[in-house]
Amino acid sequence: MARAIGIDLGTTNSLVAYVDERNRPQVVNVDDKKPLLPSAVYYRMDGGIEVGAAAKRGAPDHPVDTILSVKRFMGRGPGDVRPEDRGIYRFDETGSVVKLAVNHGKRDVTAVEVSAEILRVLKKRAAEHLGGPAGGCVITVPAYFDDAQRQATKDAGRLAGLEVLRLVNEPTAAALAYGLDKRSQGIFAVYDLGGGTFDISILKLTDGVFEVLATAGDTHLGGDDFDRVVAQRLLEDTGLDPTPTVLRGATAAAQKVREALTYEQFVELDVDLPRGRILHAKLAREELEALIRPVVERTTAACLGALRDAGLSRTDGKKVDGVVLVGGATRTPLVRRHVQRIFGLEPLTDLDPDTVVALGAAVQADALDKGGREDVLLLDVIPLSLGVEMMGGVVEKIVLRNSTIPASATQQFTTYADGQTGMVVHVVQGERELVRDCRSLARFTLKGIPPMPAGLARVEITYAVDADGILAVSAREVATGIEQRIQVKATYGLSEDEVERMLIESIEHAGEDVAERFLVEWRIEGERIIQSLESAFQVDGELLTSEERAAIDKRIQGLRDAMKTDDYLAIKAWIESTDGASKAFAERRMNKHIARAMAGHSVDEFAGMARPNEEK
Amino acid sequence: MNCWSCQAEVGPQALFCPGCRALQPEPPRTDLFATLGLTRDFDLDPEDLERRFRERSRQLHPDRFARASPRERRISLERATRLNDAYRTLKDGRARAGYLLKLLGKDPVAEARTHHDPEFLEEQLELREMLALAREKEDKRALALIATGARDRLAAIDEEVARLFAEAEPGEEALNAIVTALARARYFENVVAEADPAAPPTHT
Repeated sequence: MARAIGIDLGTTNSLVAYVDERNRPQVVNVDDKKPLLPSAVYYRMDGGIEVGAAAKRGAPDHPVDTILSVKRFMGRGPGDVRPEDRGIYRFDETGSVVKLAVNHGKRDVTAVEVSAEILRVLKKRAAEHLGGPAGGCVITVPAYFDDAQRQATKDAGRLAGLEVLRLVNEPTAAALAYGLDKRSQGIFAVYDLGGGTFDISILKLTDGVFEVLATAGDTHLGGDDFDRVVAQRLLEDTGLDPTPTVLRGATAAAQKVREALTYEQFVELDVDLPRGRILHAKLAREELEALIRPVVERTTAACLGALRDAGLSRTDGKKVDGVVLVGGATRTPLVRRHVQRIFGLEPLTDLDPDTVVALGAAVQADALDKGGREDVLLLDVIPLSLGVEMMGGVVEKIVLRNSTIPASATQQFTTYADGQTGMVVHVVQGERELVRDCRSLARFTLKGIPPMPAGLARVEITYAVDADGILAVSAREVATGIEQRIQVKATYGLSEDEVERMLIESIEHAGEDVAERFLVEWRIEGERIIQSLESAFQVDGELLTSEERAAIDKRIQGLRDAMKTDDYLAIKAWIESTDGASKAFAERRMNKHIARAMAGHSVDEFAGMARPNEEK
Repeated sequence: MNCWSCQAEVGPQALFCPGCRALQPEPPRTDLFATLGLTRDFDLDPEDLERRFRERSRQLHPDRFARASPRERRISLERATRLNDAYRTLKDGRARAGYLLKLLGKDPVAEARTHHDPEFLEEQLELREMLALAREKEDKRALALIATGARDRLAAIDEEVARLFAEAEPGEEALNAIVTALARARYFENVVAEADPAAPPTHT
């Protein structure tokens, strides 16, 4: 039977692994007897395609035709391309996805196609090693990848002729490899600093169940950023013009310098550039650390946020039992010291940070292929909250971030205006409290709500997230059962910049947002309740005794006073008090309204219902 | 009930058909307690709850059905979604209390509105003023004191809710007291979140 494989499709390197007869995950040597296949694809002028170490070595000679770190373009549009990429690549700006123009513009390739070339090589090497074609596969993605990025990864797998059983989050896969290897129990943090992305996940391991408690991250942070700042420094020293060729050479030099400084205090080396030029590079570890420190510091907020969301803090008794390092960039001594400072623990480094994700992916692929393993189960979460837009541009969160998937939640909403027959459902993603600060995923209108006074119609909105993290939304008017469903399209996914910005901002603005959101929301609610009561008094005032009316009026006055302040809780308290006092009135109105609605219909319509009752 | 796949007789609690081993859909009108194999009771052992969640996840999770028929995959997805919902709701004491109230015919959010007494509202307003002042002055000691005070109140509320549910058959009065206690808890949750934003959420 064909064996299932696990693939780590990385920004810098990619790997493939499988589970052997003795139930142990193994990586396949794919490139020159090494397990790491550099994620480099060279499009030759003659139409041929080279993938891996040879392509990477030739990158300075063919900077525009050699695509490195293509993962950063997955699921992205032309608007998401960063300036430093424009310094090297040429882009075809038409269409909605990133297209790289290679071979002097004679050929356009998408990120999905480039990734599929890498996957094809991995698939082929795996088949050679296993002596037969590979079966189903698992491909890993950063935990913070959104729908569009996940969908693009799945598409690349299909394009390469792979059967993608599941996408698994990289930190979760790493934990799986690690936990199984160590037979561990307890709470673990996985700090995953790869070439282009940073993820932090907090997991609880119990009897083979890997429950993700919280995940956070930054989709624009990784070893590439280290190389960029180091390359800039090296270029400053030489005075060379930053042409694509020189940039590529400087980046390659930066990578070598950085790796050497992992073990040395000082490094001095010459890097050949095309056309006989030489880049003379020298740097001390101290200088390197000064350069990359700001980049490393950017991981702190996400780590603290994930700890908080997991219900852990450094002050009380509950803490992390171990920290696992994943990704080549975590070899950097400064990163290790930083991790140790955040978690107060020496990080675990027994497993190779480069291969651990692929090993975990192989274990999961094997488990899925065999209909689940008795001893292993991954319970992953949704990384960003999903919400709906409310009046005043505030977000009502429906599925909270870090909910275990599959997940679903239903919330009831009501109409704001008398006789309102439609309701716009605007689906958003993000942690901020105001719609303008979140990412819009989809928008649709629920039509056909029967006309009723404001606040009487009931609309139920359901969000359902499946095991692959894909969202579907449906809306239903409760009284009539009118229903509309949409599947949120992958093309509406968040850009990396947006995820990053939203995360950083949600951390920075956490307190202020809540107050602003509630103030807006409760002022609107206060206004709504006063208006609807006043118009109700005019129509149905006779339904109240004068004492009842006085009690409500007193509360309306208190509410008006509270709305002049900035204290949303005071406004809320008065609203609730007003609402409580007018509850009987609302019920009487509703009864009257229903009676009137029924009375408006012809006798025939109700004849069938009415008669049996009369006979009783 | 009969198995959807082979029509064999299946008991209402059985996850799988005894004949063909097909995963069975959750019986209609199952409450979240039953989803985890529990009876409706506020008092539960958190470790037992977690164990049940893990065991059922192992049996129901879509990962077990990656190679199954589309129908079985859908049943697995529905059951796993419901299981996650049940665990999320029941592991949090206040969410569990709110859910139990709903099962007992009380809408905790709607009914809370009629249970606000003026003294509590005034006390809240004073507390909010203190909080606003401490935040304005960035007075960390005052903020810590306010957060601790609110946490103590939450602990007292949680105890009271547990005590009221522990009554042999909580009457209307006890249920109303729980509604009020839960409504008050929301105020203190907000106070903690604002006074100490870096702390883990206050619900248990």
